Amino acid sequence: MLLLELFWSFVKIGFTSFGGLSMIPLISSEMISHGWMTASEVSDIVAIAEMTPGPLGLNCATFAGMRAAGILGAFVANLGALSPTFTLCFLAAIFFEHFKENKKLAQIMTGVRPACVGMVAGIVIELALVNYSDVNSKIHLPSLILGVVDLILLLKFKISIPVVILFSALIGVIMFGVIGV
Amino acid sequence: MPEKLKTCAQLYWQFLTFGSFTFGGGWSIVAQMKDLYVDREKSLTDEELLDLTSIGRSLPGTMIGNIAMMFGHRVAGFIGGVACVFGMITVPMAVLLIITTFYTAFQDNLWVASAMRGVRTAVAPVILSALMRMIKSAFKVPPCYIVAAAMFALYFFLRVSCVWLVIIGAALGLLICEYYERVKKINVVA
Repeated sequence: MLLLELFWSFVKIGFTSFGGLSMIPLISSEMISHGWMTASEVSDIVAIAEMTPGPLGLNCATFAGMRAAGILGAFVANLGALSPTFTLCFLAAIFFEHFKENKKLAQIMTGVRPACVGMVAGIVIELALVNYSDVNSKIHLPSLILGVVDLILLLKFKISIPVVILFSALIGVIMFGVIGV
Repeated sequence: MPEKLKTCAQLYWQFLTFGSFTFGGGWSIVAQMKDLYVDREKSLTDEELLDLTSIGRSLPGTMIGNIAMMFGHRVAGFIGGVACVFGMITVPMAVLLIITTFYTAFQDNLWVASAMRGVRTAVAPVILSALMRMIKSAFKVPPCYIVAAAMFALYFFLRVSCVWLVIIGAALGLLICEYYERVKKINVVA
């Protein structure tokens, strides 16, 4: 039953996401509402999925599926996330020439892309609220400062994502492990 | 049939190697496909790859999964597409299964927990920086900004399900394009 629920969750996620990034808000709300994961764990998936090879969305599916129901869960979650690929996209492949010229598809995407931007902006704030606060939901300044440094490294100095994540892990060990802030 | 099976095995292997070297997005797989099929094998043209990519991006699901499916279908039918998709996800999935096992086992270890707390501070900046890149192609006409702001509000304040937000976005996209075409005589998607 759990496997079926997991599959259905990822079918929904698959059919309403366009590109890896837009999967994050969907995965977050599905995982948290089912109690399969906490908001912190959602952050962890995103970081781990960014660090390992493979598309972000499917990596999230593997991680989430495995956490919720073991290896079988990972398979089922991947199949769910890929369900539009095996159905809709298969049809598109058959009628490829027709699809290439399809204006409706481009028109739909004109609205879907900004909608995804809005949702992703929402999840950024949601995750930031969790990741930059302490156990009493007050702002945790050292975390916030590290986050700002990360943002500057990414945007200003164009440091690659895996390097920034590794850097944060190292600072985390020093800050939270050694010093204990 | 054995001929087709051989082709599928080859596709599986090629996409397995593509899949092993992608970090972050699927664009590096598109680059590797160009390198092998367009530049070396010459079995695909630049324009065809561009078509595959733009359709793959406009369909729901993972962009690169869609591209792999359509490319495989072109070469060897449905089974070819499945071979490409499964080839692509084999290595990343194996790597992640191992990592997740370790993550689950060591989540509560002080050092691992400290490292993960550090990592979490990077997540919002990472998504934000990726979002900045997305923004360029997302706002074709001014009303798109209103769509983004409205969907943000519905998501963040009113907790409307993402499924609905995407459906509303799709409907608004059709509406906006239709309006520009009829009233302003501008073809937005051309």
